[in-house]
Amino acid sequence: MKVVLEHLTKIFPSRNKKDKNAEVVAVNDFDLVIPDGKLIGLLGPSGCGKSTTLFMISGLQAPSSGKIYFGDDDVTKLAPENRGIGLVFQNYALYPHMTVQQNILFPLQNLKGENRLSKEEMLKRTNEVAKLVQIDEYLNRKPSELSGGQQQRVAIARALVKMPRVLLLDEPLSNLDARLRLQTREEIRRIQRDTQITTIFVTHDQEEAMSISDFIVVMKLGVIMQTGRPQWVYDDPANLFVAKFLGTPPINVFKGTVEGEKLYIGGQEVLAVKGAADQEVYVGIRPEGFILKKDGKLACKVSGIDVMGRDVSVVSTHTSSVNPLVRSIISSDEMGNISAEEARFDLKPHKVFLFNRETEQRVYFGEQNEAHEKMVAEMKEAGQYYVHEGPLPREADDAERHTEAEAPKGFFAKVKSLFKKKPKEAPAENGDMGSENAEPSAENADMPVEKENGESEAE
Amino acid sequence: MEKTKQAKTPLTKMEKKIRAKAIFNRWKAWLYLLPALVILGLFTVWPIINTLRIAFLNDYNGLMEVGGATFSVGVKNFATVLKDPSFLTSLGNTMLLTVITVPVSTMLALLIAVALNSIKPLRRLLQTIFFLPYVTNSIAIGMVFMAMFNMVLLKGHEPISLGIINTIIEAFGGTRINWVNAGSSKVANMVVLIFYIVWNALPFKILVLLGGLQGVNKQYYDAARVDGASRWRIFWRITVPMLSPMIAYVVITGFIGGFKEYTSIVGIFGDRMGPVGADGSLNTMVGMIYDSLNDGSQGIASAAALILFVIIFIVTMINLYVSKKKVHY
Amino acid sequence: METDNMEKIETPSAAEEKSKGMAEKDIKKTARLQLVGKIFVQIGLYLFLTVMAVIVLFPFYWMLISSLKSVEEYNALRPTLWPEQFVWSNYSMIFDPTKTGGLDLGRMFLNTVYVGIVSTILSLIVTVLSAFALSRLEFRGKNALFAALLATMMIPGELFTVTNYITVVNWLNWGNTFAALIVPFLVSVFYIYLLRQNFLQIPNELYLAAKVDGTSDLKYLWRVMIPLAAPSLVSITILKMMGAWNSYIWPKLVTDDSTYQLITVGLRELGTRLSSNASSPNFPAQMAAVVLVTVPLLIVFIFFRKYIMRGVSRSGTKG
Repeated sequence: MKVVLEHLTKIFPSRNKKDKNAEVVAVNDFDLVIPDGKLIGLLGPSGCGKSTTLFMISGLQAPSSGKIYFGDDDVTKLAPENRGIGLVFQNYALYPHMTVQQNILFPLQNLKGENRLSKEEMLKRTNEVAKLVQIDEYLNRKPSELSGGQQQRVAIARALVKMPRVLLLDEPLSNLDARLRLQTREEIRRIQRDTQITTIFVTHDQEEAMSISDFIVVMKLGVIMQTGRPQWVYDDPANLFVAKFLGTPPINVFKGTVEGEKLYIGGQEVLAVKGAADQEVYVGIRPEGFILKKDGKLACKVSGIDVMGRDVSVVSTHTSSVNPLVRSIISSDEMGNISAEEARFDLKPHKVFLFNRETEQRVYFGEQNEAHEKMVAEMKEAGQYYVHEGPLPREADDAERHTEAEAPKGFFAKVKSLFKKKPKEAPAENGDMGSENAEPSAENADMPVEKENGESEAE
Repeated sequence: MEKTKQAKTPLTKMEKKIRAKAIFNRWKAWLYLLPALVILGLFTVWPIINTLRIAFLNDYNGLMEVGGATFSVGVKNFATVLKDPSFLTSLGNTMLLTVITVPVSTMLALLIAVALNSIKPLRRLLQTIFFLPYVTNSIAIGMVFMAMFNMVLLKGHEPISLGIINTIIEAFGGTRINWVNAGSSKVANMVVLIFYIVWNALPFKILVLLGGLQGVNKQYYDAARVDGASRWRIFWRITVPMLSPMIAYVVITGFIGGFKEYTSIVGIFGDRMGPVGADGSLNTMVGMIYDSLNDGSQGIASAAALILFVIIFIVTMINLYVSKKKVHY
Repeated sequence: METDNMEKIETPSAAEEKSKGMAEKDIKKTARLQLVGKIFVQIGLYLFLTVMAVIVLFPFYWMLISSLKSVEEYNALRPTLWPEQFVWSNYSMIFDPTKTGGLDLGRMFLNTVYVGIVSTILSLIVTVLSAFALSRLEFRGKNALFAALLATMMIPGELFTVTNYITVVNWLNWGNTFAALIVPFLVSVFYIYLLRQNFLQIPNELYLAAKVDGTSDLKYLWRVMIPLAAPSLVSITILKMMGAWNSYIWPKLVTDDSTYQLITVGLRELGTRLSSNASSPNFPAQMAAVVLVTVPLLIVFIFFRKYIMRGVSRSGTKG
């Protein structure tokens, strides 16, 4: 099922009713076509609106404006139960009082009318799905008796059992440990391939998104920054944000200048950039974009060398570097070219990205232009070309938003530091959803009072 | 080594002082606890022992004991209670009231709590209204209920006034009922009592259940909506199981409270514990204890209190057993 | 495994076939049904809550308007929903012993206020000291003592009443004294428990820091612990006051002299006396007395709503 999002926008009203400026635009004019049968990753730092987008597709949150189509059907106004979606929550939200089997059966038992299955069919379907996600041994256990990875799979089974048109996964791996995460993401990939259900998943982990998605959508502050196949986006970032967000180790950013089609970093000419106009730029260099050479043009002070088997990571510093450290990954064959204090590098042109210092938008040069245009043409043909144009969302907004989102956390942290024995408070668990029901329960209604007294007394 | 040796000798005096202070510190806790322990000892611990003692002293009377009388040991007090025809009446009344009011008030409170939890405007106001009965005096509001159900009769013939409840009933085409006056039926009396006790029991249950509801992770409801569950199914398959610990708590405290029912009846019917001419017909277990106390038969009162304790204990155990099987988590 | 997967691939596409058939009309219809259902449910919820709220409020309303009616108006065959004329003399009448069959309700009000205030203050002192010892001080047997205290909470109060009656009336000879009304209920294990839990949340470092500065325990209690535990203390104060105001059984047992009787006992007695003439019971005057007993509590509730609810949600019992 193809999913189309048209001008989708979500504005959360300000918590302080008097201050209208404090309202939060979580998702801003979002346009996207998600092709049928693909696995796509919504990727972005926390607070970028990716979960909100997912919940709008699910119907749990109503968009402030814009439309959502499943195929040709406009489902914007349909309630979640009428959309035919499966949703896997970040914390799985398995019903703790039901067994695995009852959990998976639950959506089927809710079907009405002609869609209702007979009891045998329900059980058969449950068993099939349980087998698909490989939890058929645990059907009679309660969720609390399962490991995180097994719970995760039960959640997927529950979402799959009613044959959804679209499967939505909200940070599906964030609650698993590192080893399980690798294993489970392969599982998800496999299940998606087997079922061919259009799947949208949300993550803040770029590696996770890159490794299993057919297609990624990088978001910042509710705005799409860039979409495309993971490798494309990695190789051809449209702006500084995307370049910085993708890749481990992260991209190295320098301040530089283009003058007469030559790129200067710290006054030193480092690369010929044909076709680029004169301007101040940020220079993004992927760690693998460095060539260690005795007479290399970019001179860095070496501060450490990590051997990682076949490759070597040279950690160095440079006065024009925006990051405190410059990380490069070098084949160990080139290691003869390094002295104890200084490493000199030449740069691979296709691993160097220039961004205008003001707009942070990409400045193409040399052969990059052709490669870029080829990719754009291919994507446009598929109807899936989205790149954010015009100024990026400002960083100042970023900071503002940040404090807004962090406020409750800070508050509880404060209380916690004051009352060390106090157990962790609930909001952390509720995640994105919890922030909405601000009504405090009778129990902790007094907390602010306690807190204020505590502070004045502690001083 | 040398250092410690040198330091040790001159410090001995101070050490002694510190040690003395440590001993004081160890005992000072008991000093702080003294007032509480004295009062608890006299009015809580001693009664547990003494009530057991005098329950087994035949025809015990405190005033006579102070005067130097002695009493034979035996189970006569228990026999007296059990043989007393009013014991069966009281036990029956107590059980009937409890068995009806606890489920009714729990169900109503659950519905109200769920309803309150699913609205936004006016929620606080309604929550406050539903809590009001809690902060009232059982006797005082009992008298209001009495007034509402009471008919004023002219020398036992035609009523002068029907009372507001009967007026409402007649307005809806029903026939008036003698709820609480002389000659009223026990069924009518019981209906009034149940109505009042449920009214009185709602606030606490709503408070606890609403608190429980607000503690349920909203994601379960989102998940159930995505799974296409109807409201009715969400209520029975998600809300009730999630709230089951709270429901169990409310039911258990409700049973314990129900077995101690007394002041609601005094509020409506007065010390007679029944309508005029049927004194004691609505008596309860607690009422029996106080009747015996007022008669000066404290041995019998103790026996009755112990019997009540045992009954409450057994009922609570049954409750706990059942809830262990039904409560999830 | 392979064949299994093949099956899976087919089924969802079948589901899609079905959904493709979902015409625009159907979607609009479903959306409209959803909206109607939602509105219907909301109306139902408010209707239910309103009806229940009216039932809950009705006795208060009836009490208030009845207290201002004349006896004739109250006894009319068709009851009025609003007093034709406010008869304030119902209120003055209940303070006149000659009209209440000799009951001095004014005196009883004062008694109740006196008992309430004294027992609350004493109870707070005892509770704070015990909770402090049980939360901050280390001594042998602390946990055992605390467990024993909690165990006493499980025994119904009726078991204590019999012996306490003997102790107070026969041994201490406190019948008809304020001491009999105040002392036996000074210590509540529940209040100690509530406050101890609150004290435990205050970091021990504050206590140790105070000790280093040479602050005495009592000063520390007064300057640090009590302000920090203020919400619990307010809850305890209000619950204790409410308890004193509403108590009936024990005051009735140990007092029969109106110099010492409390208001609830007097109120019930007033009800009996004013109804004794079956053909013309004075309900308005009774209701006036009920209003005077009930309204102070309602006012306290409005001001201290959250403290009361907080304390109650943990207590499990009334009064």
